[in-house]
Parts: sequence; structure tokens; C-alpha cells
Amino acid sequence: MKNVRLLGYIFILPAVLAMIMVHIIPMGWGILISFKDLTIRNIRNWQEAPWCGLKNYIKAFNPVTTVGQRFLRSLQNILVYGVVTISVGFFIALGVALLLNKPFVGRTLVRGIILIPYITPDSVAYNFWRFIFQSRIGILNEMLLRIGIIQEPIMWLVGRNTIWAVIIASIWKGWPLTSLMLLAGLQTIPMELYEAAKIDGASAWQCFKYITLSYLKPVIKTIMIMNILWNFHAYNQFVVLFGENVGIHAEVPNTLIMREAFENYNYGQGSALSVILMLMMLTITIVYLYVFRAQRDE
Amino acid sequence: MKKRLILLTVIFALTIFSVVSGTEILFWAMGNAPAALHNEWMQQKAAEFEAKTGIKVVFEEIGWGDGPRIMNAIITGEGAHVFQLGTTWNPEYAATDGLVEIDIDEFGGADKFFAANLESTTLNGKYYGVPWFAETRILFYNTEMFEAAGVRPPQTYEQLLEVGQKLIDVHGTGRAIATAGTGAWDLIHNWAIILWAHGGDMLNADNTQAIFNSAAGVKAMNYWVSLVDKGLASKACAEYNQPQADAAFISGETAMAFMGPWNIADIAHDNPGLKYAVVEPPAGPAGRAAFSGGSNLAIRNNASKEEIEAAKEWVKFLTSDEVLADYTKNLSMMLPANKEALNDPYYDTETWRTFIKTLGYATAYPPIPEWGAIEGIIQTNFGNVLTDYVDGRFNVITSSKSYLDAAVAEVNAVLNQ
Repeated sequence: MKNVRLLGYIFILPAVLAMIMVHIIPMGWGILISFKDLTIRNIRNWQEAPWCGLKNYIKAFNPVTTVGQRFLRSLQNILVYGVVTISVGFFIALGVALLLNKPFVGRTLVRGIILIPYITPDSVAYNFWRFIFQSRIGILNEMLLRIGIIQEPIMWLVGRNTIWAVIIASIWKGWPLTSLMLLAGLQTIPMELYEAAKIDGASAWQCFKYITLSYLKPVIKTIMIMNILWNFHAYNQFVVLFGENVGIHAEVPNTLIMREAFENYNYGQGSALSVILMLMMLTITIVYLYVFRAQRDE
Repeated sequence: MKKRLILLTVIFALTIFSVVSGTEILFWAMGNAPAALHNEWMQQKAAEFEAKTGIKVVFEEIGWGDGPRIMNAIITGEGAHVFQLGTTWNPEYAATDGLVEIDIDEFGGADKFFAANLESTTLNGKYYGVPWFAETRILFYNTEMFEAAGVRPPQTYEQLLEVGQKLIDVHGTGRAIATAGTGAWDLIHNWAIILWAHGGDMLNADNTQAIFNSAAGVKAMNYWVSLVDKGLASKACAEYNQPQADAAFISGETAMAFMGPWNIADIAHDNPGLKYAVVEPPAGPAGRAAFSGGSNLAIRNNASKEEIEAAKEWVKFLTSDEVLADYTKNLSMMLPANKEALNDPYYDTETWRTFIKTLGYATAYPPIPEWGAIEGIIQTNFGNVLTDYVDGRFNVITSSKSYLDAAVAEVNAVLNQ
């Protein structure tokens, strides 16, 4: 028995070592330099970069400093972005999954087609949206003008509409995967349950609420936690749509981190912001899992 | 005496040849030309170079977003021995202490290069790169649209507004000039030339304090916004990147645009029938001003002596008159930073002469390691001004001034670190 256990550890050792090399050590290094004043001038001798204690962390939350102002604003922006993108995307995905769960001719083909936005590379998809949102020649403004919703072109790529532009594009890109996962969940629900409920006189809403949603709960839980993490780490959509200078209305933590670390070469500050973001995500995940576990135990 | 000198030179050349012969170096450059053409040219030149020196050069194309990769090479010693650096990057990378200090006399001497490009290779008065190719922006104008409006190309910024008004009277709102907006990574260059022409500057003489929130800075920022506000440029320009602004001119949509030398090839390719001419950037109260950009070649110093010597030979080869002229006129579509390479008859046209004249007085940004961060700060606040304009919150008295003040405070904090 002891030998078998030892053999198991030997088998997982390469994977554990790989994890340590590519995950744990870089993460540890990142945490370490977040306490240092590491800049372009001392990057070659990073060990000798001066320690600065919690300075980088304090700056991040100090609204008087420029970094602090930007970081707090970026958290506000990502919160709006995440809440709207996840919730609207989820309802679209659920609607489509319910439709695709019904038998109809060409269902397999449609299931494949809906995945197109998801499988399109970010750079292609968001560049495509960049064209759609062009104020002068973009088809969105063209359509809105034609049907009379707007009287003059809207600026989507500059100003306060930027956050809505990126939300629309992200919903389009993200809902198909959610839909596919929900569809997989729907297909595990035994049809007999619906038949029995109908015999007992249950309404369509009651069937949905007590059977469909109950069975989908584990899938929804996974989807939600994945979406929260993905959306809070959003970067590509912002940079492809708006360029490196995303503007105050669309600044999110990752665009700020990239700028601090790799444009301004404030590696210490960039690392501190990354660590803060990681801790936030970790907290959200723990709370989320705790709440779900508590509900399950009930 | 003469014989002895020749003998010494031959011995020196043979020594260098024997030391570096057989060495292999890696060269990273950005996509300065279509990839297939670029690779083919590099391989051909690398073969010529190898036949001549015995040094093997492996070329790899990298992107403009690969700055961190270059930084990794400098830190770890893994990666290219020679790499292309944008002019504003050179002092930043030199500050890492990871670049070979250059004896410019080895590369033909300081007078051989455009002054601003050479300045961009410096840090604290020492050279850490060799200027490769250069660019500046001048005013392109559509001669047919100008004729139809009965106007002549503007010589001053005030005239540009007057000419622009006449152009839109004839051709319609937004069609006088195409300008770059928040989508442009190089938005700052457009503002900088107006700032300088109005007597302003970025930093004080010893580069210890930002001074671009002066009256000239505010006027320059307001001027850029006024091009859209007065209807000379389309409101959509506020979101444009530079290629979008270029495309608006090249397609014949607008009558003017500030563009670079590479756009000559774009016009020949995309709209060969376009009737256009060029003039120097307009003058402000302090005269004409232009931005000097381009790229330099730098050598990593954490390499063996042989590799560093081989890298120097490759840089000398790439910046030699004929090779450089061949590269700039057929591939990068820029100007050679080596002035002697301009003797190529290709550059003997009115358009190129205007570029060359402009480059002669063009200004480089201060060669300090913090410039990248400073540029980002200015760019962000320029974007904020345009965002305010789009959001309807722009105030000609307060907006530019307050954002420039904020940018100056931030830049001073960076400089004082």
C-alpha cells in the first residue's frame, strides 16, 4: 500500500515540478518585486532594487496619487463591465440553450454556427467590432440612423460610450460558450421529470423553476465563477477596440497594469496592482464557493 | 610611412576578420516592410555579409509590441545581439546599462547622421545606438481640391485655418484635413510640432522639469481640437488612428493630412491617380518645427567579445550608404538616417527634398530614460482632452490647461523619482 502511494507521488512529480516552475516561482517573484522599487534603471540587477515596503500597495488605493485614481476608476469600470456583460450574456445564452434543446431540423448545424463568435480569435473579432463601431462609416451608426433611432452619428470609440461598446462586443463574443455549457446541462435532465410534473399539473414556469433551474445549478455555478474571473481579467477586447490608450471610461485593471509595468517600466507598481487583482479574484472565488456550498448543505 | 599605415590597416582588418569570422549573431527588426519581401532582402544581405566577413547573421522579425522581449534579452542575455529600437526607446534601454556604448567615429562620425536622430541614440552624452532610418511628418495636400477651392498651401498655422475654411466651403464639412485621434499611438507627435512652432517645449533645459503646460502647450492642444470643432476635420477624427487619417487623405476624401514618407508608397499603391503635393509643416510664431522619428540599431552588451564585434560589423554594413539606401527606398520607405545615403538619385524629387529639408530642422524628444512614461502620460491626457470634446464637456479656457497641468504634475513626479 505504501509503495503504491509512493508510486503515485512519483507519477505526479513531473507535473508538480512543472507547476512550480511555471506558476509558483513566477508568482512568487511577482509578489516579491511588488515590495520593491523596481524600474528600468535597476531591472538588470533586480535583486539590488531597493525595498519599498507597502508603498506600491498604498499608492494603488490612494485617490490622491495618479495611479490610485486610475486604479480605483478601473475597478469601477470593470465592475460595470463585468456585471452587465455576465448577466446579459447569461440570459441570452440561457434563451438560446433552451431553444436548441428542442428538436428541429438542422439543430446540429445551428449548434455549430453559434460557436463562431467564440472560436474567432480576439484580435479578429474585436477588430471586426472596431469597424462596426466607427462613427463615420461603421454599420451600427448607419443602421441606427436609417431606422431613425439617432439623428447624428454616435462616437462609440471615444468618450463615455466606450464602456458600452466593449460590453456589446464582449457579450457577442462570450455568450456562445455559456450557451453550449448550459445546453450540455439541459441534456442531462431526465425527460420523465417534466412528464411527471405535467401529470401533476405543474405550469411551464414551475417546470422551469423547479426542474430546469435546479438541475442547471451546478453548471450555472461553474459558468458564473469562470465568467467572473475571465471578465475581471479582460484585456484584449479593450486594447483591440480602443488602442493602447483606452481612455478614462474604459480603463480596466489589466490595461493599467500593462501600462504601469511595460510602458512606464514601474515593474514594482505593476506587480503590486497584479497582486491586488489576484487577491480580489481569490476573495470573490472563496466567497462564491462558500455561499454555494452553504446553499448545497441546506 | 604610408606603406606602414596600409600594412597596419590590413593587419587590423585581418585581426577583426579572424576574431569574428565564424561567429553567429541574431538580429531582430520590426516589420518595416511586407514580411516576405523583408525576409528575402535580409537573407540576401546576410549572405552578402557572410561572404564578406564570415559572420553569420540570423534575422528574425519582431513586432512593435515586443519591447518587453528586447528587455528580456538585455536582462537575460538570451536573444538578439543587434536589435532595432524606435528613436524614443533608445535612451530607455540604454538606462538599463545593457547596451554597448558606441564610438560613433567607428560608424562614420557624428556629422554623417541627421542631428536629431543621432541625439536619440544618446544617454548622458554617450552614444548607445547607431541611427538607421529616419522619418518626419509634413503636410500633404490634394492639388485638385485646392485648385477647386482657389487656395494655396498654408505656410502658417493661422493660414491653415483660413485655407481649411475655404476648402470646407467648397468641399463640405470635415473635408479640409484628416487628423489622428485617440486611436493613434503617435498622437503626441501632432501636438508636439504645434507646441514647438509656438515657442513651447516639453522639458526645461536640463530635463528636470516639465514645461509643456505653458501658453504654447495649451494653444497647441486647443488648435488640434479646433480643427474638429471648426468642422475642418470630421468629428470622427477624434477616434482615428494615424492610418485612418492617412487613408482619408489617400482616398481623396480630405484635402490635407500630416503624413510620413511611407505614405508616398501607400498613395502609389492605393490611389495612384491622386494629385497631391507636399509642403513643410506650417510655421507658428516661433517658426517651423517638425518631429524627428525613425529607428536606431543597438547592440546588447551581455554577449561575448566576438559577438559584440560581429554585431558592430553588421551595424556598419546595414548603415553603409548603398545598403541603407537600398533598404529605405525599397523596403522601409523611410529616409536613411545616414545623410550620405541620400545621394541616391531616388531621393532627388520635390517630395523627398521637402522631407529632407524638414528633417534637417526636426526635433528629437529629450533623450532621457523616462521618456516612454512621459509620452504615455501626455498621450493619455491628450486623449482626455479629445474625450471631453466628444462628451461635450470641452472648455477652451479650462480643459486643455487642466489636463496639461495634471500631466505636468505626473511627469514631474516621474522625473523626480
